[in-house]
This record gives sequence, structure tokens and C-alpha cells, in this order.
Amino acid sequence: MSESPVLKRSLAARLSDGRAWPWLLLVPALLLVAAVVLYPTLTGMDISFRQMRLNRPALGTGYIGFTHYLAMLNDTVFWVALQNTAVWVVVTVVLELLLGLMVALALDVELPGFRTIAVIVLLPWFLPVVVAGNIWALMLDARLGVINAALVNLGILSDFKAWFADPAWALPAAILVEAWHGFPFFALLLLAGLKGVPTELYEAAAVDGASLWHRIRHIQIPALRMIIVASVVLRAISLMNSPELLLILTGGGPGYSTQVLSLYAFQKAYREFNFGYAGALSVVMFLLLMVGSWVYVRTSNALKD
Amino acid sequence: MHRSRGEKILAYVIALAFAFFAAFPVVWTFITSLKQEKDIITRSIRLLPDPATLHNYVAIWTQSNLPPLMWNSAVTSFLTVLICVGAGTLAAYSVSRYRYAGRNHMLLFFLLVRMFPLVLMVIPLFIIMRNIGLLDTRIGLALAYTGFLLPIFIWMMKGFFDAIPSELEEAARIDGCTRLGGMVRVVLPLVKGGLFACAVFIGIGAWNEYLFALMLTTSGGSRTWPVGLQLMVGEFQLPWGALAAGGMLSILPVLVLFALVQRSMVRGLAAGAVKG
Repeated sequence: MSESPVLKRSLAARLSDGRAWPWLLLVPALLLVAAVVLYPTLTGMDISFRQMRLNRPALGTGYIGFTHYLAMLNDTVFWVALQNTAVWVVVTVVLELLLGLMVALALDVELPGFRTIAVIVLLPWFLPVVVAGNIWALMLDARLGVINAALVNLGILSDFKAWFADPAWALPAAILVEAWHGFPFFALLLLAGLKGVPTELYEAAAVDGASLWHRIRHIQIPALRMIIVASVVLRAISLMNSPELLLILTGGGPGYSTQVLSLYAFQKAYREFNFGYAGALSVVMFLLLMVGSWVYVRTSNALKD
Repeated sequence: MHRSRGEKILAYVIALAFAFFAAFPVVWTFITSLKQEKDIITRSIRLLPDPATLHNYVAIWTQSNLPPLMWNSAVTSFLTVLICVGAGTLAAYSVSRYRYAGRNHMLLFFLLVRMFPLVLMVIPLFIIMRNIGLLDTRIGLALAYTGFLLPIFIWMMKGFFDAIPSELEEAARIDGCTRLGGMVRVVLPLVKGGLFACAVFIGIGAWNEYLFALMLTTSGGSRTWPVGLQLMVGEFQLPWGALAAGGMLSILPVLVLFALVQRSMVRGLAAGAVKG
């Protein structure tokens, strides 16, 4: 008994000196990813070609070809959701990028107290969506919302407004909440990027007597270009993929005014148990994402030259 | 670098405005949680609670099932961290230290995995987990979380490993250490700060998660607090004061852990994402 740990250790130690060692280290992670990402994703693609209604088992789960995909073409909700998804992703990313860039440029100046401010600014990103969503639901509430009260006091609004009940305002209000939640992501990455700009560049600009705007436009933003491209792709992907905030704030309503693809797919599965159609919707989403990111990276590379 | 006085003032104004924008909603929730319900449901909004009361905290803690919900979340988060630290540290060490054919593809693979739509994963996961009996269990949920948290962990941890000079292991090898010994006894102690920060990041991610938990848990035995709290809001018309108190209690661990490791966590996140 006393020898077995020694034996074990020497086996691991011997393995660690073999050529396969770097690969052996990867095995647990690869197995996990294969089991919980790749296999489910492939199963999801398979499901999208099947009839699969969990609440109607009598229909069976046989293959039905492209039926779900063809049904999408005549599904008006799908087209509305597609349009809303585009607005939701593009407007939110642009807004978050601008907010993040502004605060990163300011915090890069490095003044007393800015370390603490940087931590405070990051806070929203670490808050759970459930809390973030309900905080804003409280502040925008039609009866007791503090934002409504402030706007009325300032004379901007004549009366308290039910932001999430108005089809014209529900999506913009949700975008505001998401921007609050997500702009620290850009602030974090852009600030890290700004710290890496060589000081010689600034010194040269100072000698030339460059203005603040000139410095931002011609030194700082070009230096951040790669980070901006990468962070925009990452953020757009996560916005497109996660319906959580809209699920909490509006559930897609009023009407379909805040319905997006990810939320629509989730509800098809969660509420209607129509897993086949939900699978097809998410496959379409996946394809749009892949094509979208590819086109975006290509054009931003082309513009660089 | 020299900055003009005007620039410094502008930087302060912008920084303070953003700090207010970021913090006000949380501060407002805290204030609301200390108010009596009749002072919340009013149009004549008072800034400070008068009198301040802990009544809402007592109510949500004793009269709802928040404590077991938070316990489920804690167990699930702990399991997620355990799996990620175990499998992820080894993988990150491999891609950081060794040069072999396919290494870059491996890194790209872990980045691409993050792009798979969660909805596309969660629908089949529901069916798969139901078939193998992991649906509505905390370990099943934790395994599902590793799908999107493990790749982030590997990217962050790689950054911390990269910062340790590999001469250290070479010296250990000359002293007769095996590669395993060099990794465990020389490198791991040096990255423990980074490792802790990455673990906290993963833990926060699992603690906060809503969508997977909503789909993959169906009963009180494994339901996590975000699902439970949202259920209370939707079905039982939770009073605002109690909701605010519940929200504050649930983000308390996040705030404490974030404050503890924010500096190295931020460094790891920036490195992982920038290089990606």
C-alpha cells in the first residue's frame, strides 16, 4: 500500500517526459468542450431537420428535411425579429464602443483617484443580468421610477412614461440598459490598449504642437484599431447570442417590438416545446453570425491598408 | 506625459460622470432596499430613506426561499470553478509553454467555441441531460457552464503563464525535476494570484448565469437564485423593497470577490481578450 502513491507519481512523471505530454495536458479540456459544446451543437443542427415537439410526442421525431427552414420564410415574427436583432446589435455595440472609448481616453490621463474610478466604472459588467434588468425596471417604472421623476422635474417629460409598454420606446430603453451593462467591457479593453501606446508617439506629437483632438484622431484611435475590431466582434457575438436581458425586461413585447432571434428561438423551445423549429432558428442565427463576423473582419482589414 | 490643465479638468469631468452613471443604479437599489414600501411607491421621490429599515432584508431572507436558492448557486459555482481550474490550468499550461504543430489552431479553437450560440447549445443540452439523468442537477448545470467558461479561463490563464519566464522550469529540469514537477512546484506557486483571479471570474460568471439555469433546472433542488428571484418577480409580484434587498444580497458575494481581485482579474481579462 505504501508503494502505490510512489508508483503513481513516477508514472505521471514518466508521462510528463514523453513526447505526448503537451497533448495529454489538453485532453481533459478537449473532452469537456467536445461533450458540452460540440456534441450539443451538432445535435442541435440535427434537431433542426427533425420534427421535435416535446409536448406532442405522438408526432414522433423523424426527419422532415428543410421544413422548418422553409416555414421561417413565411413566419412574419422571424422577419421582425431579424430586423430587431440588427438594430439591437448594431446600435448597442456602437453606443457601448463610444461610451467605452470616451471613458478609456479620460482614464488614460492617470490622475489621482482614477484607479478607484476605473473599478467603479467596471462594476456594471460584473452584475448579474437579473439584477441589472430589475434595477432599471425599477428606475424606469411608470409609477415610481426615479428617472421618470427626474425627467418630469427637468421639464423634459410632461408625465411619467411606461417605457417598456410603448412599442416605439421599448427597444431604445432596453438598448440603454444593455449599454450600461456592457460599456465597461469596451472601457476595460481600450484602456489596456491605450496603456500600450509607446510614449515616443505622444512626445513627437507634442513637439509638433498637436491638439487634443489631433492626438486622439491620429495617434490613439489608430493604435487601438486591432483592439476595436476584436472587441466589436466579441461583443456583437455575445449580444446576438444572449436573449437574457430582453427576456427579463420585456419578453419580446409589447407586440413583437423587442423580439430578437435568440429570444424567439429560446421561447419556441421553452414555452412551446417546439425544439425542432427552435433549433432551426438558432442554426440560422449561427450562420448569420459567422458570415457577419467574417465580412466585418475582412472589411476592417481592407480599410486598414 | 505632460497634459494641459484643461485636459486634466476635462478628464476629471468625464471620469466622474461615468462613475456616477455606472454606480448610481446600484446605489439607488441599495437606498430602495432600506426604504419602507410606502416610501417607495410614491411619485414624490425622496432621496434618502426616512427612517432607514432593514425590514426588507429580514423579509426576503426569512419569508422567501432565497437562502436555498443561493446555496444551490454557491454549490453550482463551486463545482464549475473546480472543473475549470482542473482541466483549464493544464490546458492553459500546455498552450503557453510548449510549441507543437496545431498549437495555434488549438488556441483559435478555444476562441471559436465562445462564438457558438448559447441557444443552439442549450436546447440539445436539455434533451441530452434529460436522457442521462443530469437534468435538474447542480453538477449537470455546472458541466453546462464549463462549455462557455472553460475557454475564457484557458485564455486568461495562458496570459498569466506567459508572464512567467520559462528559464525557471529549465533550471528546475537541470536540477532533476520532471516536467510535471517543474509545473507543479515551480510555476504554479508563481501564478497563484492569477489563478485565483481567474477562478473568481469563473465563479462570478456561474453565480450570475440565468439562461442555462432557467432551461436546465426545473425544481427547487437545483434551481439557482437568478431563476428563483425572477420567478418571484414575475409570479408573486414581489414588492420593490424586498426585490431590491434580494438583489443586494445576491450581488454581495460578487462585490466582495470583485473588490478582492479586481486588479489581477482586469489584467488577465485584458490580456486574454486583447491577444485574442
